Amino acid sequence: MPLRPERVGRVGVIRAPVAKTAVVAKAVTPGRAPVAKTAVVAAAVTPRVGRRRI
Amino acid sequence: MTSVSLDELGPVDYVVVEFPAGSSNFTGEMAAELRALVDSGTIRVIDVLILTKDADGTVEATELSDVGELGELQAIEAELAELLAADDVDHLAAAMEPGSTAGVLIWENLWAAPFASAARRSGGQLIADGRIPIQAIIASIEADDETATAGD
Repeated sequence: MPLRPERVGRVGVIRAPVAKTAVVAKAVTPGRAPVAKTAVVAAAVTPRVGRRRI
Repeated sequence: MTSVSLDELGPVDYVVVEFPAGSSNFTGEMAAELRALVDSGTIRVIDVLILTKDADGTVEATELSDVGELGELQAIEAELAELLAADDVDHLAAAMEPGSTAGVLIWENLWAAPFASAARRSGGQLIADGRIPIQAIIASIEADDETATAGD
């Protein structure tokens, strides 16, 4: 079905072709290595007292 | 929109969620979760389009209102602002694989609006924002691990 006429002839808000994001599903799909990876990522974004960046 | 309401506008984001040919499994779960985010005042849905890309790359856009049974999405559809222009369709579909279908969702982050407004009242101005992909976090952790292993 066509778009509503109100959408035609206006300047768009998405200024350039969007690039495909790397698919996240493989990193979070259950399985031996991915589960371990998910746990590590979760640890990386968990508050940690006294953590140093350098 | 008045200047007061503009000042209170939260940041607007979008996603394009692709469903490769033959992989879609619509149970209503996505619609229910989206409705919950709206009902809790976390987000306001501004626009939704459904895109299909044929095997030859031809893109067709469908309005949410033209989808048959909307269910949970009925109330959301009634409040859409139709921000996207026809010009946006090809740009949004650029990332799609031929033969796939995708949902485009544009939303305002209502949860962020009070903080953004307070930052502006405090004299701040947004100079950068973005999203950190999970892949980047994984790459960082793996690089740290390799560095640690090399030091053994």
